[in-house]
Amino acid sequence: MTAKKRLILNLFEMNCVSHITHGLWRLPGNNRERFNDIEYWTELARLLEYGGFDAVFIADVIGTYDVFRGSAETSVREGLQIPNNDPSLVVPAMAAVTRHLGFGITFSTTYEPPFAWARRLSTLDHLTKGRVGWNIVTSYLPNAARNFGLDGELDHGKRYEIADEYLDVLYKLWEGSWDDDAIIADREHNVFADPAKIRPIFHEGTYFKVEGPHLPSPSRQRTPVLFSATASGDGTKFAGKHTEVVFTGGPTTGFLQRTIAGIRQAAVEAGRRPDDVKFITQAGVIVGKTESEALAKRAAYERLSSRDGYLAHAGLTFDPTGLPPETRLVDVADEFSVGRRRAFDPAQTVGEFLSGFGDITRQPLFACGTPDVVADAIEGWLDEVGIDGINLTQYHSYDTARDFIELVVPVLRARGRLRTEYDPDESLRDRIFGAGDRLPDRHYAARYRGGAFLPGRLSPSSPDPGSSNDFKGRDPR
Amino acid sequence: MSAASSARPRPLHFAAFVMNTTGHIIQGTWRRPAARQTDFNDLEHWVRLAKTLERGKFDAVFFADVVGLYAPYRGDERKYFEAGLQVPSNDPSVLASAIAYVTEHLGIAFTASVLQEHPFNFARRVSTLDHASKGRIAWNIVTNYLPNASRNFGLEGLTRHDERYEWADEYVDVSYKLWEGSWEEDALLQDRAAGVHADFDKVHKINHEGPRYKVEGPHLVSPSPQRTPLLFQAGASEAGRTFAAKNAEAVFIQSPNLAAAARDTADIRLRAARHGRSGSDIKFFQGLYVVPGSTEAEAKQKAAELDEWIDYDAQLSHISGAIGIDFGHEDLDTPVGELKTEGVQSVVGWIKDLVPDRPATLRDVAHYTATNSRIVGTPEQIADGLARWQAAGVDGINLVNAEIPGSYEEFVDHVAPVLQRRGLMQAEYAAGTLRHKLFGRGDRLPDRHPAARYRGAFAPQRA
Repeated sequence: MTAKKRLILNLFEMNCVSHITHGLWRLPGNNRERFNDIEYWTELARLLEYGGFDAVFIADVIGTYDVFRGSAETSVREGLQIPNNDPSLVVPAMAAVTRHLGFGITFSTTYEPPFAWARRLSTLDHLTKGRVGWNIVTSYLPNAARNFGLDGELDHGKRYEIADEYLDVLYKLWEGSWDDDAIIADREHNVFADPAKIRPIFHEGTYFKVEGPHLPSPSRQRTPVLFSATASGDGTKFAGKHTEVVFTGGPTTGFLQRTIAGIRQAAVEAGRRPDDVKFITQAGVIVGKTESEALAKRAAYERLSSRDGYLAHAGLTFDPTGLPPETRLVDVADEFSVGRRRAFDPAQTVGEFLSGFGDITRQPLFACGTPDVVADAIEGWLDEVGIDGINLTQYHSYDTARDFIELVVPVLRARGRLRTEYDPDESLRDRIFGAGDRLPDRHYAARYRGGAFLPGRLSPSSPDPGSSNDFKGRDPR
Repeated sequence: MSAASSARPRPLHFAAFVMNTTGHIIQGTWRRPAARQTDFNDLEHWVRLAKTLERGKFDAVFFADVVGLYAPYRGDERKYFEAGLQVPSNDPSVLASAIAYVTEHLGIAFTASVLQEHPFNFARRVSTLDHASKGRIAWNIVTNYLPNASRNFGLEGLTRHDERYEWADEYVDVSYKLWEGSWEEDALLQDRAAGVHADFDKVHKINHEGPRYKVEGPHLVSPSPQRTPLLFQAGASEAGRTFAAKNAEAVFIQSPNLAAAARDTADIRLRAARHGRSGSDIKFFQGLYVVPGSTEAEAKQKAAELDEWIDYDAQLSHISGAIGIDFGHEDLDTPVGELKTEGVQSVVGWIKDLVPDRPATLRDVAHYTATNSRIVGTPEQIADGLARWQAAGVDGINLVNAEIPGSYEEFVDHVAPVLQRRGLMQAEYAAGTLRHKLFGRGDRLPDRHPAARYRGAFAPQRA
């Protein structure tokens, strides 16, 4: 019998008040309003490391949800991801108070030049000694596009095309620009780095032109752990080629399983192994020492849940709340108006459609009950649904994490689903895959190692610096 | 008592001038036995430094930055790697939240070029840090003078000089709109009982449309303690001075002598007045470093020992690569007056003032870039020297290091107490944000600053 699958345990976060459980920021003792304070994040990081979490996974958007009711009014009132702060900048403070906790940081490939982001991630990987992951997104909010000079969203396929080239630039910088032994720090001979082992990348593609070299030296993981969130067709091909940990979801477990199988297949087609990709999903857990305690918590959460928040979050182009519940959905909406996360079901009435919004229990992976009940459910997700880990949904910060640590973690440890302690010296990638700090050789990024597939050399190997220095040759002056 | 205190000088402000790299200004000293510049990848290195600076009551830590290699020296970029001269280098901005967490008062200034990031995202990152630090962030606004940096961001080469400042003008304009105009002061309600987190009528789009940027808004971050971070700038050119006069609250100067400092500060203060600001709205920070000793002889001996570590070839490569004129093939003993390359006299002409008795050479240039702006002596003599800079119009010192953490530990332990006793350095921190600490008149930009015009300007445009 093979060993039990170990749970990848992340906390799902965002640098804002109302991330995905709308209305609940009002719960007594909820700390979410403190997100502007760095102490919110350092306290959280300490708690998660105390509880053995693998990582904190920080979502992000760079615009407002302003489709529902034609403006951002609902979002602003609800604190629905606005105001929101940059996710990457709270990581160094969290890193300063922890030694093991990993960090999944969301950043979009659609609007920002790759050079600065590659450098920022390498800096973070250095500072954390290899604990950084990047959640690659392509942005879906029209307002985000208009914040960056476009008139509206780019077409989905094109965003993935840009993302694919963006990753190519980053792999060249991270994997190819510096050899592992480039830093010599030879005090006696006054040589800090060996120019022969560092090279520009001279990337010229459809969307980007980047000379290089990368400015940071190789960090522990070089390429951070690559997360991406997808369930779409373009996303599947992209994830098969690039992603190491897919954050996915869907309306049913059957949908989830099809997504997982599709991405594993895409990975194989990209020359990788099916198990080179891990899958995590959003999961809701409400746990109590007794069933009634869990149910009481759930009731308290349900009381404050805000349907408006969920409607605005979904980006509905029509407002079902003003319609008679018996209205046929097909008469007032189509597949483009029901929001980005929902399948359009023409047989539904508006009342049926609405009933799911604001229902905190309505997600495929949800468990409420005693520690054993919750642990049974999680084991089912791992073994029957086939996922590898969860991004734990927060209803209450920090009670959700505290409850999980106090009540569920011990049970999962006893059942061999979580380790009892951190390996004292492992990178985030090594923790997840157990095969070292770096991407495996069969990953696309590995092709650039040692400068392969890169045209330039920084310094000549021949004695005449004038003739063979490509870097100089490309200098337009 | 009031008479005695009024006789005391105003304290100078002190920032520690550092960079997230091995070789920043004084090259070659990373090889010294106690030097730890090479640890810049480690968070602990910076945490320790920040705590030292706060112990010594420094006003701020100031991170320089570049986003590319210096232009070729002796035909290529080899020298920069061998010397660790600003490469490898890491992003300075991400150090800020950790430094903010381990300190309470220290200001955190970081350099960011308008080249590297869209202003919408940049403004958001700065606001995030200003929240995280409770109002201790400063932004050193720079354009870019390195062709390689331009090519790292898709351009063919350097942007024309005057065009760079037009770019910077629009970049700060977008940022000001987001910081000052998008959210009204009382927009954030956080009313649990009513279920209202923010007042929609007080959050505004900015709808910026300019030659380079088109930005809708609203700003995603609620108003931070300072809103606009303290604005630093360092341009010495005509366009740079005008930009500073309009925008900067702190100007970093590298004047070769007291007379030049007096000239530079007076000039920019005058320009500020012409732009409707007051000369006192700008604090000037002179870049220099000190070599202290318990006696003058000891200090001189230490300076001589330090000089032996300096890599003068790297010093010359730095200035060469910054101005884009390759001195690498020149004989170091070539008199500067004989260099014929276009534009070279304007960038190294200053050396002639420092070597009046004979023809100044490139060797002199290399030497003086490392040693001109320094004060060698006892703490008392250093205090005397700093008082002279202050009398020339300087408000603060951007303290260069020969090594980290040594230069700052030595300063904090041996020089700062003397400065504090003489009233030349603060002995306690004032409360409040970095801006309030420096100017003593609140957390926000004064009304006469150009950013202030956006306050309340977007009220009709709802988010």
